[in-house]
Order: sequence, then C-alpha cells, then structure tokens
Amino acid sequence: MGKVSNKSIFSNYQKNEGLFDEVFDENGNVKSVYQKILDIYGARSIKDYVKLNNKAKSSFFNQGITFQVYGDKESQEKIFPFDLFPRIIDPDEWDLIEKGAIQRNLALNEFLWDVYHDKKIIKDNVVPLELLSSSPNYLHQMMGLDPPSRIYNHISGTDIIKHSDGNYYVLEDNIRCPSGVSYVICNRTALKRALFGVFNHYKTHTVTDYAENLLSLLESVKPHGVDVPVCVVITPGMFNSAYYEHSYLAKAMGIELVEGRDLFVENDFVYMKTISGPVRVDVVYRRIDDLFIDPMEFNPDSALGVPGLFAAYKKGNVTLANAPGTGVADDKAIYTYVPDIIKYYLDEEPILKNVHTYHCSRPDDLKYVLDNIHNLVIKPVDEAGGYGISIGNRLTKNEIDEVKNTIKAAPRKYVAQPIMSLSVHPTYIDDTKSFEQRHVDLRTFTVLGKDQQFVLKGGLTRVALKKGNLIVNSSQGGGSKDTWVLKQQ
Amino acid sequence: MGYDYEIEYVTRNTYEKGLNEAFWQFLIIPENNDTQELISWNFENDLGMVNSVSINGLGFKTVQVRAKEQTDHINFRASFKLSKKEINPYDFPLPESVEHERALLHSHNYRVDHEPFLRKTKLTQLSAKYENLFLFNNKKSIFENLVALNKWVFEKLIFQSGVTDVGTQLSEIIENRHGVCQDFSHLFCAIAKQNGVPSRYVSGYLHQGNGFFGDSQMHAWAESHIPNVGWIGFDPTNNILANHNHIKVSHGKDYNDCAPLKGVVYTLGKNKTQYSVQVKASQQQ
Repeated sequence: MGKVSNKSIFSNYQKNEGLFDEVFDENGNVKSVYQKILDIYGARSIKDYVKLNNKAKSSFFNQGITFQVYGDKESQEKIFPFDLFPRIIDPDEWDLIEKGAIQRNLALNEFLWDVYHDKKIIKDNVVPLELLSSSPNYLHQMMGLDPPSRIYNHISGTDIIKHSDGNYYVLEDNIRCPSGVSYVICNRTALKRALFGVFNHYKTHTVTDYAENLLSLLESVKPHGVDVPVCVVITPGMFNSAYYEHSYLAKAMGIELVEGRDLFVENDFVYMKTISGPVRVDVVYRRIDDLFIDPMEFNPDSALGVPGLFAAYKKGNVTLANAPGTGVADDKAIYTYVPDIIKYYLDEEPILKNVHTYHCSRPDDLKYVLDNIHNLVIKPVDEAGGYGISIGNRLTKNEIDEVKNTIKAAPRKYVAQPIMSLSVHPTYIDDTKSFEQRHVDLRTFTVLGKDQQFVLKGGLTRVALKKGNLIVNSSQGGGSKDTWVLKQQ
Repeated sequence: MGYDYEIEYVTRNTYEKGLNEAFWQFLIIPENNDTQELISWNFENDLGMVNSVSINGLGFKTVQVRAKEQTDHINFRASFKLSKKEINPYDFPLPESVEHERALLHSHNYRVDHEPFLRKTKLTQLSAKYENLFLFNNKKSIFENLVALNKWVFEKLIFQSGVTDVGTQLSEIIENRHGVCQDFSHLFCAIAKQNGVPSRYVSGYLHQGNGFFGDSQMHAWAESHIPNVGWIGFDPTNNILANHNHIKVSHGKDYNDCAPLKGVVYTLGKNKTQYSVQVKASQQQ
C-alpha cells in the first residue's frame, strides 16, 4: 500500500466512508495493484486525461460499437459509456472468481440435465416442484433429449459484485443468451490504443482470445459423425439491442452471421442459403430466445426463427448453443437454490457466495418483505436487464404502498434481497470533469465445451453512472470499464 | 378380433397474393401404441416437393413440406392404413382402497413425474370463480369421478361449430355453453387437473359410423392418468370412453401442442384453409 504520489487528477475525489472503494483502502491508501497506474495518471493533469478519454470514445463510434434501449420512444443508437481508468483484479482474487464461476455453471448444467431427465433434485425435495411447474422456461420438448457432451449452458454470464464486507457475491446467473462480451474486447482495444504506455506497465491477461475459445467450444459440441463442423451465429436482426455483438462475434470467429430466413430445414438437416447453393450447418450459436427459434415448436408467430430447427436438433443433426430450455435454471426464483444445487450435484461448498433471497411465494418471506420493504431490493423473477426493479430505500411512501400492492397481487412473481452495497470505483464523470465514486459490478463469461472449461480473464465491469444508483445494466444507462486481470508474478 | 381402417386427410390452402417460400408441418400421422398399428402411409402434394417425415419436440411423427418456388396454393393428401384392436376400456380393476389411490395421486413423486400434464395452460386454466365448478367425490375412485366428469361436460356443453375457435378461453366456453370437441376436451382436462389428475389433450380421428359427433374433421378427446392403471381415454364430446373408434395421432398439454397444421408462409395477402377427413372401417375376419 502506498500514498498517492501526486494527487492532481484525484484532488477532488471524495471518499464516502460507508462504501467499499476498489482503489483506496479505508485509510485512503492506494491498494498495491493500483499504485503504478495512479503514479502514471497522477503525473498528468485532468485536461490530458479528458483529451485521451474523448479520443477513446470516438473510436467506439467509429467502430460502430453501439446499443439500443428498449422502451425508449425515440430509440436511438448510443455508445456504451466508457472511461479510461481500468478496474484491476489481482491474481488471487481472480482465482476465486474463476473457480467459483466454473463450479457454479457446472452445477447448473447438472441441474438442467436432471430436470430434463429423472428430476431427482425435485424428488429429493431440494428444489420445489412449484419452481419447475410455474416456469415458462421449462420446456417439455427438452425432456429426455441428450445434447452433445451433455452440455446445456455452453455460454454463461455470471454477474458478481463486491459487497462492503469485501466479499464477492453472485447477483444473478444469465444462461440463455448472455451478452456484453464484445464490449469487454472493444474496451480493451480502445484502452490499449489510447494508453499503450500505461498498459505495458502491467502483466495483464489478454481478453482477445475469447472468440478463439468460443469457436473451439462450438466445434467441440458438433453433432456425431461430423468431421469439420460448419458453425454459424444466428441473430434476431439489426433491431436487436445486441446486434453489434452478434456481428462482432461472427466476424471474430470467421463464421457466418445469419438470420432465420438465411437457413432452412429439409429432412431434419439444417442448410444455409449461399450463392453457390445450400451448405449444411452443424452448430448454431443462437442469439434468439428459446420461444422464437422455431415456430413449429414454440411461438407460432415467430418470424425470427427457422421452421423445423428443433426437430433437426432433437434428431442430433445440429447442435444449438445454448440448448433450449436453459432459462429454467437462471430464473431469479431458482437463484436462491444455487448453493443447494452446488452441494447436491458436486458435493462441494459454493466458492462464490449468494445474496440471501426472500421468496414472496413463501408466506413467512412475504410477511418479512412487506414489513421491511425499505431495506430491500424487489425484483420480478422473470425480467432481464434491470427492468421492473424497485430499491426500497429510494421509494416514497406512496411508491412503497404501490409496490406492496403489486407484490400482494402476484407474490410468485417477486423476490427480494437485502440492499447490497456494491463496491465503488473512481470513474471519470463528464459533468464535473473529475473522478467520482460510482458503483460497479462484474459480468464474467464462462464457456463450457466438451472436456473444456474457460472463463474469460477479464469480464465486463459495469458502472452505474448516476450518482448513488445501484443498477448497472447498459439498458438502464450504465457504463463500463476495461477490467484487467493480472498474471501471477 | 380387430378392425382395419383407411383414413384420408385432404387439405387445400390458398394464398391470395401468392408466396415465394413456405414451410408446412402436418401432425396427422396415427401413432403406434398398444391398441393401434400403422400399416402404411402415403403422402402427396401438388407442388412436386418432398414430403419428409420428422419427429416433433413431443415425440410425434409429422410430415413437412417446404415450398421453394412461387405458388399460390398447396394441395396435400395423406392416406393411412391402420389396424386397431377391439378394446374394452373398462378392463382394469378398481382400486381396493379409494384413500390409498388418492394418497398415491397426491404423492410428491407422482406429481413430479406427471408435472407436464398437471401444468395449467392458457387453454386449460380455470379462472378463480370456476375453480370449484366440479369437485371430485372423495368417497369414489378416480375412475368413477372421471366418468362422472365426462358425463358432466357432455351435458354442460352443447355441440355447435362456428361459435368458438382454437383460442377461445374456458370462461367464455363455460358461460356460452357451446363449442366443439376441442372445447369439450379442454374443459375436461382443466377440471381433471384442478382435481389433481394428470390429463392431456388428444388429437386424432374418430370413426363416426355410429352417429357420434366429430364431423368430417379431426377429433379431440382427453386422456387422464390413474395411479396403478395408466392413461385412460375419455371422449366428453360423446360421453364415452375412447374405444376402437378413436384413432390417436398425438397428445399434449392442449390444442397448441397438437394443431394438425402449422405453417410459416411468407406472404402479404390473406389465406384460406380447407380440409376434410374420411375414416372407413372394416371388421377383421
């Protein structure tokens, strides 16, 4: 630990004592992993920093790295706000995160196998039957189906936070079509371009090997009897908020990006239309939600999917990644049971902690939630992207009554958690032209293939840009930071 | 002793503005089970396209046709030969103890195993005010209760086509008291599930030589699961148990799992669908 040698760019930095700061310890000393970068940044003025930051931002626009916000009437493309002060994670901490993410996602994979086969965990009363039978994401079409190498959640996004007690907690699991990985890579590219000199002072793990690992995973789960598989990425199209990512990943893997109408099914085989005739497709990295992938099986009105795709999958002629029906395992109501799920299948203690969750479907929990709403975060169980979340201590009296009524009308739809104090990280704020504390989380990316497990050594540090805001999702106006995982010395 | 059947399914779909590309999937092939055996099938379409047989997500055979060129219609014909055993649907012992049977029905593992068919769907969900519409009698066996329910539904609704469609909700059917075989079957399934009995919607053909309701269309009935017995077919439209006149194609949670024709058609205009079914029977010598 050392002092900030030159405080110029941090001269106005205000530390809130109640919050866990990623860069400074409780005595205001710089944590060792940040010392070098503070020395370098500290030798500069805030003006220099702003100039560099703007340069990096424009490189995002030039690369077309944008996203769209749903429900915004004048929906327009935005760049994901970014600042040049990276988050740095030391090797030992990372080791815990990586082992924890693999353990958790392997256990969830076992859970998926089980609920689509013998349902032992339900029969043994570890997870309530009600959670399966009330989940719209539990797909009976998947019953008894054996996906290649028994893998369901090929790609998982595990959201982790650091609480004020200094421990990491998993906030949620995303194992349908988690997005965000393209920002990780683009953040790194932009930062390296702007600050090559700084980057070079650290031994940081690369993140640009993600596409390589993803392709190797996709190839490893090819259908039986296929030698060199043809893999594609299927996207709902350019109006999807993550379209940039879909096209980025396809390009980085060197495979085709397709929409539903570019594929067709004949005799239970999937083909891609090309100028030189149909080409058989063996593995589909699908970024279309379950219910839209095949109008013959699921939502009949879906114009995004490929008719006949599921039957081809069931027959083993094509692999879908992730497997349909994974949503039953990342429902927020299942989240509470993940520690039990890990113990049940792996006979291990969870490496990463869970945030305690109250289920409004349980009478005792419901009573506690209604009595303590001001200290809790209320979440709908089936909404992604931070929509529909209420944070108890931010609500007015009227709003509290409103939320109470909403919960009482449909208790099964809501869970509640203590308000976790996400750690904060110095973040450059345009309005005040200075660094301020902002809450951050970390989305990690785990890839499971045949005999291979990979966690991207980095991940997306999401920043809540509004002061005091705890919701970090990009759709809720969050920003991001490059995340450096240091190599073991 | 048994019966031989010849079944013919014919459909004509026309598209006002024509289409460039389409995919049709027919769920019309009789399944093989303990009481019926499919001897042969034949499919024809007038687009010159391949009729390929596939297996859908719930395990039933379908026929798929893909149009690759411009057309404004498809004519499709399927014919089947099938043999069916003479069935006595009452051929199983009644439980020795009604209480024991009920305990099995409500046991945890039984409910886990039958989760798909205890799950309520949009089409088989009774609204709160109708939850107690028909309550089972605890002193009687499950089978006796289901027979009573079959009769109750038969008497509650009046068969009339054209007043409901495949998306009509139960409360509307209960209030208007008119409907077709889908509606009878959905109501039966909903009430049986409400009383804890796993139940599923069945789609198939009915040989109507005996003046039963069913028209020259596909028919629908229901199957309920009884502990230690298995799945038993109930036809509430006709107040009978499923017998050798019922030729099963598929089952599912409700009509949406069993729709005989699903299609994705890239066209802007309106379309028209007509189909008819013919079932001929002869007794085996």
